[in-house]
Amino acid sequence: MSKLNETDIQGFVLRGYNLPFARYLFLHFEDAKRARSLIARLLGEITTGQRWDKGKPQSTVNIAFTFRGLEHLGLPDATLRSFPVEFQQGMKPRAQILGDTGANSPEHWDDLWREDRVHAWLGVNGLTMEALDARCLAILSIIEETGGAGALASQDAAAQIVDGKPTTKEHFGFTDGFGNPDYLGVERSSQPGQGKLLSGGIWTPLATGELLLGYADEAGELPVAPVPHLLASNGTFMVYRKLHQNLATFRAFLDKQGSLYAGGKEKLAAKFIGRWRDGTPIELSPDNPNPAIAKDPNRNTDFTYGTDAEGARCPIGAHLRRVHPRDAFGFNGQLINRRRITRRGLPYGRFVPDGEPVTDKEERGVIFMVLNANLSRQFEFVQQQWVQYGNDSHLGNDKDVLMGNHGGHGKFVVQGDASPANPPFICSNLPDFVELRGGDYFFLPSITALGMIAMGLVDPR
Amino acid sequence: MPNKNGNVYGLTILSPIIEDAKATPSHDLQIRNYLAKLSTREDSPFALAPGTHLARLVVMDDVIYVGAPSSEEHLKSKYLIFESNCDGDLDSYLSGLAATIPDHLDAIWKHCVGYPGAANRQAFIDYMKACQLETTFFFAAVNNKSVSETLRALQTQTAVADFIASHQGANPAKLKRDFIQFVSQLKSMPLPKPGSMGPHREIKTGGRNE
Repeated sequence: MSKLNETDIQGFVLRGYNLPFARYLFLHFEDAKRARSLIARLLGEITTGQRWDKGKPQSTVNIAFTFRGLEHLGLPDATLRSFPVEFQQGMKPRAQILGDTGANSPEHWDDLWREDRVHAWLGVNGLTMEALDARCLAILSIIEETGGAGALASQDAAAQIVDGKPTTKEHFGFTDGFGNPDYLGVERSSQPGQGKLLSGGIWTPLATGELLLGYADEAGELPVAPVPHLLASNGTFMVYRKLHQNLATFRAFLDKQGSLYAGGKEKLAAKFIGRWRDGTPIELSPDNPNPAIAKDPNRNTDFTYGTDAEGARCPIGAHLRRVHPRDAFGFNGQLINRRRITRRGLPYGRFVPDGEPVTDKEERGVIFMVLNANLSRQFEFVQQQWVQYGNDSHLGNDKDVLMGNHGGHGKFVVQGDASPANPPFICSNLPDFVELRGGDYFFLPSITALGMIAMGLVDPR
Repeated sequence: MPNKNGNVYGLTILSPIIEDAKATPSHDLQIRNYLAKLSTREDSPFALAPGTHLARLVVMDDVIYVGAPSSEEHLKSKYLIFESNCDGDLDSYLSGLAATIPDHLDAIWKHCVGYPGAANRQAFIDYMKACQLETTFFFAAVNNKSVSETLRALQTQTAVADFIASHQGANPAKLKRDFIQFVSQLKSMPLPKPGSMGPHREIKTGGRNE
């Protein structure tokens, strides 16, 4: 595998920018010709995967399209119909497959997502709020000049700032953003624990085709992609999900259960996720958080579950063990190498310190985005089988404690052991801590493909 | 050893489907139509009959020619494939099917060549065995327990989890009293029906994420 052409790949795919402010603009195309002229104008604005040798830019811009958006851009039918069916359908009709039912069902989504009008996502990130505002204004004036789109809505998201520094905390108080997979050819300082596991406990990057279209995946096949190849290559699919967090419910539940659990509230919180709130993996440090581990990239994702088959340290149903089981299913982790996803995103809504009054109602949550080559095989599988079901980890019908769509009936087992500070414990009647408020599936094209779309040169033959 | 893995039996049966130009619709279509209407939950015939962990019925029309360089080949007939992971001894399993769901079996297999009917128990067993192929690879999700042991274990697991959840922090005297009562209740609880314990989903194919 030679080095990827970073000038052709949108930067959002290759790296998390770690820029603390974001605004996601949702566009609606009225007229194909004007929409294409807008894309042509935006081309020069798009942030690519090129290295930032001169330091971080003040802001970044990336773009992705729903299937409906590609239709409105006037792509040929033969191309449109060659996209994978789940992308053609979009996320809403996939609700039964994804377990987006009950409180998560589309009827409860924000208007924006119930109406099937979103054609494009523009992701703008900024180093400061001022830089973000300025860039968005510039983009909006391009939109206005070309008349290429209507801006339907925007969604702000931002990292929590503590003592003037952005953190990676989310609203429940956990440190987030560890451990995206490494892929062949993607230049990134690689961390042990972040690719796929080889025998002997060595980690190595996943095949490029698990992230990008046009390259071999872990099965040695090219991911299912639209024609022509040039439209697909160096592009990927993105999932956008607005996940509302019921913070009051979470805190009350944790307080109540934490008072019953002999290990205490903080340890129970750590058992939910598989990391202490500061990010220390409980698999490595089961008794207390250890900042030395949490802050060390060579250690904070480098662990396996082989010696913890019973879940005494990290519960079998802990969030991070569910969604990335590492070696837990045997066969040196080979059963999971085609189920890995790359995550992006930031929290939205006001942060409320522990102990201060809070309600579930207030707009608050995380904008969760996934990048993967195959929506069905990667994101949808993880969501259906590992988040909304427990059979693969021998947990029966139990769902992910935090992400699960429990409807008040969920159960979470902390396996524990015989020591007094680590007893087995069961949380039952789980409420929904997280609710889906909408989202969709997007195609995130390469720079070349954006040019082809802009110039009306997509030729399926 | 083929066909058996511990106490679990891997059954593979291929029954040739009757080819009759005068049948309308053809026999294979009649089987497909019948199978499509069967439940996949607790009222599935294979949940009603004893001993099935997992069963699958498939109509195989032919081998599909995928183009050069492979050579074009065809089966001698269409086949009904019946695969089952079941408990223990084959004779008693087949006998159990014939005794419990004879109407279903007859409705399906009457479209197959030489099927004697489930009423003649020995002839039915002999027929099924004559159609049997060796099974060498098993569906891995079945451990070495019988169907009723598995159901009992699932029921116990759920009940114990519920008991613990509702008694965490209870005082020892109450815990002891309630636990003794719980154990006696658990023993007398009827066995859950096979096929009843999975999540209810509205996707009929039962596939993962098709």
